[in-house]
Parts: sequence; C-alpha cells; structure tokens
Amino acid sequence: MRADFRDGERIRSVELTPEGAGTWRVSVDGSEFLIGAEPLDGGRLRLVTPEGASVAEVTMAGSRRFVRLGNLDFVFEREVGVRRGGGAQAGGLESPMPGVVTRVMAMPGDAVKKGQPLVALEAMKMEHLIRAPRDGRIRQLNAQPGQMVAGGATLVELEEAAGEKE
Amino acid sequence: MRKVLIANRGEIACRIASTLHELGLRSVAVYSEADQGALHTRMASEAFAIGAAEPRASYLNAQALLEAAKRSGADAIHPGYGFLAENADFAAAVEAAGLVFIGPAPEQIRTMGDKRAARELARRAGVPVVPGAEGDDPAGLARAAERMGYPVMVKAALGGGGKGMRVVADGAALVEAVESARRVAASAFGDPAVYIEKLLEGARHIEVQVLGDGRGEAVHLFERECSLQRRHQKVVEESPAPGADEALRARMAEAAVALAKAVCYRGAGTVEFLVAGGTFHFLEMNTRLQVEHPVTELVTGVDLVRQQVAVATEGRLPFTQDQVRRRGHAIEARVYAEDGARNFLPQSGDLVRLRWPHGAFVRVDQGFEAGDRVTVHYDPLLGKIIAYGPSRELALQRLTGALDEARVHGVITNLPFLRALLRAPAVRAGAFDTDWIEREFMAVFVPLATAPAPELALAAAVVAEALGLAAPQKSAPAGLAPACASDAFGALGRWRHPGLD
Repeated sequence: MRADFRDGERIRSVELTPEGAGTWRVSVDGSEFLIGAEPLDGGRLRLVTPEGASVAEVTMAGSRRFVRLGNLDFVFEREVGVRRGGGAQAGGLESPMPGVVTRVMAMPGDAVKKGQPLVALEAMKMEHLIRAPRDGRIRQLNAQPGQMVAGGATLVELEEAAGEKE
Repeated sequence: MRKVLIANRGEIACRIASTLHELGLRSVAVYSEADQGALHTRMASEAFAIGAAEPRASYLNAQALLEAAKRSGADAIHPGYGFLAENADFAAAVEAAGLVFIGPAPEQIRTMGDKRAARELARRAGVPVVPGAEGDDPAGLARAAERMGYPVMVKAALGGGGKGMRVVADGAALVEAVESARRVAASAFGDPAVYIEKLLEGARHIEVQVLGDGRGEAVHLFERECSLQRRHQKVVEESPAPGADEALRARMAEAAVALAKAVCYRGAGTVEFLVAGGTFHFLEMNTRLQVEHPVTELVTGVDLVRQQVAVATEGRLPFTQDQVRRRGHAIEARVYAEDGARNFLPQSGDLVRLRWPHGAFVRVDQGFEAGDRVTVHYDPLLGKIIAYGPSRELALQRLTGALDEARVHGVITNLPFLRALLRAPAVRAGAFDTDWIEREFMAVFVPLATAPAPELALAAAVVAEALGLAAPQKSAPAGLAPACASDAFGALGRWRHPGLD
C-alpha cells in the first residue's frame, strides 16, 4: 500500500508492506523501518518500534487522517490524483476564510502592483484585504460587494505582468 | 418565573440551561436551520426553530425570538453573550412584550454600549480611563493621535469585544485605518462612529465581575485576568490575576463597584481595565455574562446565572460584599475549531471522535458532543476547559493535563496551540501582557506547528487504515487516555517531533 499525505506544506510518501505476524515494513519519504502493530479497543493501536512502544489513535474523516500519538496530535490530508494548486503558485487569489465581500478595488484587465489591495473581505470580526502577491494583470474577478464567499474560493485570477515570461 | 427562553446557541446555551434546570425552571432552546439537532437543543426542555442559518435570520432576529417565546409560553429571556445580549432595542422589546429580560435595563445596555458615553461615565465616577479622543473627522483624530503619541487603537464607538478594532503604528496609516474601521463599524453596528485610544504598551487586561440589584446596590466577585489574547481575542483567562498585587486588585474592584452603583446596574456585568505601569485604566463595561465567567464561579463558589435569575425575579442580591470569599485559583482555556498551523483559520466538519477531559477539579462547558457538526456560520468556540487548584501552579498543571486528555478528531482545533501555550515558561511565571502571544509566543509556536510530523505518526495513519481501525466510529470509547501517554512519547526515539525539545 502506497499513499501520499499532505503534512502542512509538505507531501510525505508512505509505503506499507505486511511482513506477517503483526509486523509491517514502513517507508516514509524513503526511510525504512519495521514496526509491530497491535489493535487495542476503541480503535486504538499499540505500535512497537525497536525503541519502545506507544499508543496511537487514528480517525479517518474524508481525506483527512487525525492521528493522536502519545501526547501529540497530527492531521494529514490524503493526496489523491492531481494535486490542487494553492496560493501564489496558481494564478488565483483565494478567500482565506468564509466571509462577505465588502469592497472590490480592481477591474478585470487592470494592471496591478505587488501589495496593492484588490478585494476587502469581512470575516471573523475583521476586515481582511486581499492584496496582489506580485505585479500582474487581473484576468478575472469573482467577487461583488455583499457577496458571501466560501473559504478557499478563488476571488481574483491574476496574469503575469507583461514583459515577464509566459 | 417558570420557563426561560435562551436566545443563544452552543456552549453558553447549554450552560444556562443546566442552571435553569437546577432551579426547577423549564428551558426553551431556539435553533437556526444549521443548528437543527445541536447539543443545546437536545439539552433544553423544548426547542423551537427560528430561521435560516445566517445570524440575521435567526439568532439576531428579535421578531422570531419573541414569537418563539410566545409560542413556548416562556415568561423570561436569557440572552447569553454575543448575538442580542448587548442590544438595548432587543431588551426593550422583550420587556414591552411583557417578558422578563434576564440582564441589565435597556438604557444601561445603551449607555455602556456607546463606548464614548461609557468613558464619560467612568470619568465622572472617578475611574481613570485610557487616554483617547473622539470625533468623525479622520484629520482631527490624526492630530489627537499625534498629541498623545503613537501607536493608537482605532475602535468602533458601538463596538466592543475586539470587533472592528485596529492598531495604528504611525500617522501615515491612521486615515486609512479610520476609514476602514468606520466601514466595518457601519456594517456591523449600524453606526460608523469610531474613537481612538492610546495603545498602552505592555498592558495587561484585568476585569472585575460585578453584580447589581438595579436599585443602587452592587458587589464585586473579584477580578479575572485575560491578558493571554491573540488578535484581541481572549484565549486563556484566570482568577486571581497574576498581573496585579492585592492592593491594586482591591482598588480596581472598588472602582468597578463605584461605576456599577453610579448607573444602578442590574444583573451581572464586567468592568474591563488595562493595567500598565502599576496603575489601571477603564476600558469598557460589558453588560452581559462573559465567556470566561466560569473562572469566577470556581474561585467564589457563586453560580452567576443563578444570581442573574435571582436579580431578575426578586430585584435584590442574595448576599452582601463581605459574604463573597475567594479561594484558590481557576484558569480557563477556550477550545476553538481553528487551525493554528494555518493562521487560525476557522474550521468546520463533523466531530467524528470527541472526548472532553474529566477530573475532580476540571470543569468543561461544552457546546458539542461526538457526532455533532461544526458549521461555518458561527463563532468556532467548541467549549471551554476550566481547572481549579489551591494554587496557580496546581490549577495550571491540572489544565495542562486536561488539555492533553481532550481528544477532538474530525475537525482541526487550537488544542495543540493551547497545550504549547500552557507549557510556555512565561505563562508558568505569569509574565505576559496582551501582546505577548503575537510578539513572542507565535515565533515559538509556528515552527512547532509547521514542523514535519514524526515518521511514526504517518506510519500509524497507514497501518490503522490497513487494519481497518481508522474508520469513523459512532460512539467514542469512554476510557481515559492511556496512563503511559507521556512515557509513550518519550519512547518515540528517532521519530521524535523535532519542535518539541
């Protein structure tokens, strides 16, 4: 079994091979080790490594994996198929959270400078300004004053500034 | 009084219902379309739908709330906090409908709701206020700011609780900040008026709980310190305040009582102060039950909701000032559905697995149970964990243990943030101010939150899935955390989390 997980900003690759008798060969980002795994009650798991035993509790929620290990919590996102582009790498400027658009300060076709405010969003008791991450030209605007937007919704699509490499 | 409608949701609606039931009163819950079947509706004696998910259509819809009160036969309304709790028109409408409003008189809410009027009242009651200036003209405010010195805060006159508030470092940014604050204020409070206050650097937020009988008598229930804030939102609160000595605490309590008496305050309220340079300054008065009221309840043994009901029904306080005693220390942490690793973005989803902590000295005010859904429509507070101890050190130790024990799977929470925060040496020492989290702690926390997870955690995810253990379960097991939890972490060896040493 092979799976990619998003761990914060990183993609972590995990490969699992059963070795029998509750033992598994695990490879995480190419580093290999053996672990023993024994199911406990309540969906918990006792993991034994050469360095000791620990208890893990894992919950699947959609593509997310919530892992409690010892005293710590981790959340991984199972990556399936094509990776979604995010933030500055893609051309889109996303709404950081659900909110209401209060002002739109640019028009499609406008040339904008890095740092220029484009859209104002009210959410969580604050006004958030969405600014141009670099110089460029507005290709499309998906925001109107008063409009409710979901977290992650693409509000502005930006083209590279003229003169830069396509 | 026989039946009380609770015009709220989440943990505070649940908390109010439990005291009402103790008093032998029936409780009426209200819910929006998004909250159908929510915990507060399951806890109440009965529940009524009041409208669509958007707060304006439901929890802020005075008409729908009054209709629900009428249909249910309720004779009183408790507003909780937030929503319509500090809306004078709503309080007046409740009284006009012949119902009891469990809170202050409408004109008291109106006066304290206008922060400019509240500052003036405090000044007249002899309470020192934070230096500031009022006015509609950004240029005039800029001149005043120049005189008192930057940085300053721009605040909405009808705001409060951090909404529409911003810090301005110099004159160049003031006009834009005033204009932006005016827009937020106009849309959020229906009035664009703003005022500025000098930002007191290194200040601590300490507030005094008061109770008034509405006829000029008032008592205090000591102070709470709420200096641990992130972006002006309180995260951890405690009583007594580590940021003030006994003499200063007593003077603040006295000032708070003087203000409450001056307005013949009715019910429970909180007078907020900033403490800097050994003196205190009035900030604002909140005319409602506070989120952090449980810490006061734990150190005084007084149930504040019970007192609110007593004042509303009998018009008098059941005890005098010298009957109020404080014992030990209590500290609260707010558990939010927010992703600390991603700038605290609010989270939603199903609480697939949820286990609140237990313990002889741990109180949990929860708004959710396992299987409940967290939506994007409201404040992402899931619940509050409050620990008590004879000393601050022991209360902190118990709260840290309780936070470790809490298990929330299915929705990302700020638990990792709270656990790290409560372990920070400055928090242990009580050495922080309202800006400390952002100024110093975030630099410690962000690398920790964004560090790569240990390989064993990833291994656990895939092994559990391969064994079919990771499938969501309807009911979480009631067992406690494994006794070896901390040892187990020590045994992670080379898979140890790099940010934790």
